Amino acid sequence: MSFRDLPIRRKLAVVILAVSALMLLITCSTFIVYELLTFRQGMLTNIETLGRVTADNSTGALAFENAEDAAEVLGALRAERHVVAAALYDRAGHLFAKYPADLPAAALPPAAEADGYRFEQDRLVAVLPVQQGGNARLGTLHIVSDLVALYARLRLYLEITATVIAISFLLAFVLSRFLQRQIAQPILSLADAARAVSENGNYTVRVQNPGRDEVSRLAEAFNHMLAQIQQQHRELSNNAARVREQLDRLSLLQRITRAIGERQDLSSMFQVLIRSLEDGLAIDFGCACLSDATRQRLAVTGIGARGVSMAAKMELTGDAMFAVDRNGLSQCLQGKLVYEPDIAGAAFPFLQRLERVGLRSVVFAPLAVESQVFGVLIAGRCVPQGFSSADCEFLRQLSEHAALAAHQAQLHGALQKAYDDLRQTQQAVLQQERLRVLGQMASGIAHDINNAISPVMLYTESLLEREAGLSASARRYLEIIQRAVDDVAQTVLRMREFYRPRDAEMALAPVQLNRIVPQVVDLTRARWHDIPQKRGAVIKLKTELQPGLPGFMGVESEIREALTNLIFNALDAMPDGGELTIRSGLHDGTPQRVYLEVADSGVGMDEDTRRRCLEPFFTTKGERGTGLGLAMVYGMVQRHSAEIEVHSAPGKGTRIRLLFLVASQVASTAGAGADAPRPRQHLRILIIDDDPLVINSLRETLEADGHAVTAADGGQQGIDAFLDARGRNQPFSVVITDLGMPYVDGRKVAQAIKAAAPDTPVIMLTGWGQRLVADKEVPPEVDKVLNKPPRLQALREALLECCAERVSR
Amino acid sequence: MQVLPLLCAALLSAGLGRPCAAAAPEYQLKAIFLFRFAEFVEWPPQAFADAQAPLTICVLGEDPFDGYLDDAVRGEKVNDRPLEVRRYRELGQLGACHILFISSSERERMKRDLDALKGRSVLTVSDSDGFDRDGGMIGLELADNKVRLEINPDAARAADLKLSSKLLVSARIVGTP
Repeated sequence: MSFRDLPIRRKLAVVILAVSALMLLITCSTFIVYELLTFRQGMLTNIETLGRVTADNSTGALAFENAEDAAEVLGALRAERHVVAAALYDRAGHLFAKYPADLPAAALPPAAEADGYRFEQDRLVAVLPVQQGGNARLGTLHIVSDLVALYARLRLYLEITATVIAISFLLAFVLSRFLQRQIAQPILSLADAARAVSENGNYTVRVQNPGRDEVSRLAEAFNHMLAQIQQQHRELSNNAARVREQLDRLSLLQRITRAIGERQDLSSMFQVLIRSLEDGLAIDFGCACLSDATRQRLAVTGIGARGVSMAAKMELTGDAMFAVDRNGLSQCLQGKLVYEPDIAGAAFPFLQRLERVGLRSVVFAPLAVESQVFGVLIAGRCVPQGFSSADCEFLRQLSEHAALAAHQAQLHGALQKAYDDLRQTQQAVLQQERLRVLGQMASGIAHDINNAISPVMLYTESLLEREAGLSASARRYLEIIQRAVDDVAQTVLRMREFYRPRDAEMALAPVQLNRIVPQVVDLTRARWHDIPQKRGAVIKLKTELQPGLPGFMGVESEIREALTNLIFNALDAMPDGGELTIRSGLHDGTPQRVYLEVADSGVGMDEDTRRRCLEPFFTTKGERGTGLGLAMVYGMVQRHSAEIEVHSAPGKGTRIRLLFLVASQVASTAGAGADAPRPRQHLRILIIDDDPLVINSLRETLEADGHAVTAADGGQQGIDAFLDARGRNQPFSVVITDLGMPYVDGRKVAQAIKAAAPDTPVIMLTGWGQRLVADKEVPPEVDKVLNKPPRLQALREALLECCAERVSR
Repeated sequence: MQVLPLLCAALLSAGLGRPCAAAAPEYQLKAIFLFRFAEFVEWPPQAFADAQAPLTICVLGEDPFDGYLDDAVRGEKVNDRPLEVRRYRELGQLGACHILFISSSERERMKRDLDALKGRSVLTVSDSDGFDRDGGMIGLELADNKVRLEINPDAARAADLKLSSKLLVSARIVGTP
């Protein structure tokens, strides 16, 4: 164990003992050395004195060479027992006398030595001159003394020293024990206190130390430090607890906020909010209320699991409403957080209600978005003063978050709805576009076919009308041709109806849905009653017609056809029987609309089918279906400016509703289906068309009617011919032009002619006639539009009309 | 080699310088004793003319020392005084003298001479027999080939001389009859 590791009391003992031993050693050594030196000096002095006396006494003997006397003088040295030998040498240095007398001469130097003193190993040798007074030397005295005395003295000193050291050690040890206690004890108590502090964290210990020395001051400082540490520790603990509480709150807040954020509807949001509060904040009662528009009443929207029984006693369950009295709630509805630390004996009815179920302290936190309070969060505890300011702050923050989340949810809902609307609109636009393209295509095809069959139609009609001398078979063939061409024209017409806006030719008449429905039901009886019955299936058909429905303008036959189509589709969807319901009624909302609805309990449609079902040629019936039924219904709907709603889901049946604007909203155009006599006068007619077949057939047909016909096979030629004729003062009375021509089309021709002769009527002949009418593209210069293939009758009527107009004008 | 003649000369001179080999140690010793008496005897101050006055050793009668005495005192000083050796044939010639060796040649006139010296602070020394009986102060006698002292303290005291006790210790004390 090194000195550093020794306990302090041992160190102290060692220090004291070592110091005292060292001091004693130094002191004693000094003392001994001093004493020895002194003693030696004494011995020297002694032997010198002895020597001098002896020398002095032996002068006579030496001077007068009396050896006996000399021996006698030396013999006097017996008195000094330490003198072990002595000798006198004469002037020449020869041994003259010795002591003791029996001492062998070899024990003495044979000749006199130099004067002086010297310590040899165990003896002191003194050599002195022998002379009388200051006179010449008579001889030499040699004295040898042993050092027994010196050694004896030395031993004595050592013994004394040893005794002194031993006693000193003893005393020092006792003293150190005493001092140890004085020094080490306070230090040990300090150490004990420090250990108690560091090991147990006990800052209340204090070092007992009444003294005023350094250790006591240290202890005092230690105590002071402990007091400070205790204080700081207390503060730290408080702070830590506060921070922990804050963290808990924050995490609770975050948890609640997240949980709320995951919910979309208010009631589940409030539910999770209050449940979390009950769990996390340990409230006894929690509920969320929504304010009504007047802010006079609150509706309970969410109640926590713990507070359900209380709420039941208070009659606050479910969607219970309660009035906002002039208590904290009204303040809360102004956006303030209200804390009622003790509601015992409260004056307001609502607080009394809360008190009755045992609540004592209540917090009302406003739920507000952009300073608009829309609800109140109520938290209660059964003890008075139950909420700290931190609790209140937490509830305030929480209510803000919750309100924000609720607002977000509302926004989210609105956004979702807007998105859905947008998606539907997009789908509808897409649908419309698709149909428009299809319609255009169909229109183009119709144009070409009409162009192609126009001469056939005209010639056949002309032949049958004029050639009286036809054979019976020729006439029969011609009639077959005419019927066939008629069929072709009808087919083309039907094809165009997939997408045909209502045109001027449509004969609108007041329509009563409740009149149409029984007609159609009767007409289709075979399909919905007889045929299924043969298969063993039963179709139960119901009609639910709202009496007194207003009429609307429309084409009854088309609506009838559409209804027939819808009924057939419904029957197809119910191969094993089912229920078919036909309803009519007044649709909610403005503008006022009536509806016709066909609902079945059939297989229904999936989303994709539902979206595409209105497209032409889209069918789910395989070979049996044409894919034109609903497309034609849709065409009718569009022509009537109506709407169609298709509701369906697989297995849930299909419900199709047609919505018609009631009469006043539909612009009525009266049909002018007058009888058309042939024009009486013979006209000069200019025909402009790029199709020679059409030109020829028209010219020949019109010439047969007695008109003078000039043909031009292009726009520019037509204009030139017209101007030329006008220049020759033989103007045309009417111009019939095709619309679609290369370079100069019908519109330009019409413009040029009207520019030259505004009175000259222009009849436009086109396969796109309906489109022109629908799109309001009829050029102002054009007086009449006729469709291809032109019926001879229609042509005559048009000529009559235009020229009559001119005449009447 | 020139060392040999030099060594021979030294030996010769030494041999010549000591006429009697047997007698030499005795008088050589006595010469030294005579000189050493100066150290052990204290004269009255009036015995010296001044502080630097030499201490005189006189030989009365035939000089038996054969130069040893001169050798003994040469270069020596006793109590800071130089030593001087004088020789007298008769007592009447005697001048300032501190130690007087009366040769045995003066045996006959010993008593008279000693009496004549009474009142003078002169240490009288002789190796003549019966010297102490005649009132001499220190007698030198040969025994066992050793020179022994016989001292008459009374005579010395009478001459106002103080003899050191150490001198007395190594001598045989005799009294005036």
